[in-house]
Amino acid sequence: MKQFFIRLGENPIYKKLLKEPLTYIAGAVLLAVFQIAHFSSLGSGWGVTSTFANWGAWIFEALGGDVSNWVYFSGEKAQKALESSFLADGGSIRNLGIIVGALAATLFASQFKFKKLKSLRQAVAAILGGLLMGYGARMAGGCNIGALFTGISSFSLSGWIFGAFLLAGAFIGSKLLAKYFM
Amino acid sequence: MAEFTLDCLGEACPVPLMKTEKKLNELTVGDVLIISIDHSCAMKNVPEWARKQGHNVEIEEVDDGEWEIVIEKTK
Repeated sequence: MKQFFIRLGENPIYKKLLKEPLTYIAGAVLLAVFQIAHFSSLGSGWGVTSTFANWGAWIFEALGGDVSNWVYFSGEKAQKALESSFLADGGSIRNLGIIVGALAATLFASQFKFKKLKSLRQAVAAILGGLLMGYGARMAGGCNIGALFTGISSFSLSGWIFGAFLLAGAFIGSKLLAKYFM
Repeated sequence: MAEFTLDCLGEACPVPLMKTEKKLNELTVGDVLIISIDHSCAMKNVPEWARKQGHNVEIEEVDDGEWEIVIEKTK
């Protein structure tokens, strides 16, 4: 059995498909195909972070909080999403798919590894970065998927404006990273 | 012709690339830098950057999800 897996790991087709990263072009083409499929079958573009706000609201409500009066959740669409549940919510399933898919891909490539936290500083940087990204995504009404990728691919000017500020933010962010966290 | 190591285990993009750039600047031509990484995207962008700079690059998979990038500074 072990021999079989060692031989499989050395198989050039297996290596090419599951072990080596796709080229940027191949990734871009796949993303475009899936975006088109998403739009034509569900009638809306791909997004990731709106769902996180719903997850947050569900957790908050499960702990006894109440978000029904919050302006963010006052719209009809947001209300409907709130009343739905994890398994009935397409966005939740889609995000779960990203996580499960990423896990499957790293397992197929035999590259799974628990990474050590290097320092407290690194943990602080990661948490701070996550909070800023989440807050920014909600303020901008989307992340690099919903606002940038879906925006630009549906010929919306807002996607390009988001992109310009994304670049500016990434530039400032990497300067700060180099200054305080390296 | 000295050999240097750089431990980037547990670090995500773009930190490994930034550290490599900085470290490679300090070395002299002919020196070898061995970078340990466990972030698959660094396995793509670090060698890509180094090759573009004209250095000799080799990648070795040392364990599940762990690589060593060997860069020989050529200029």
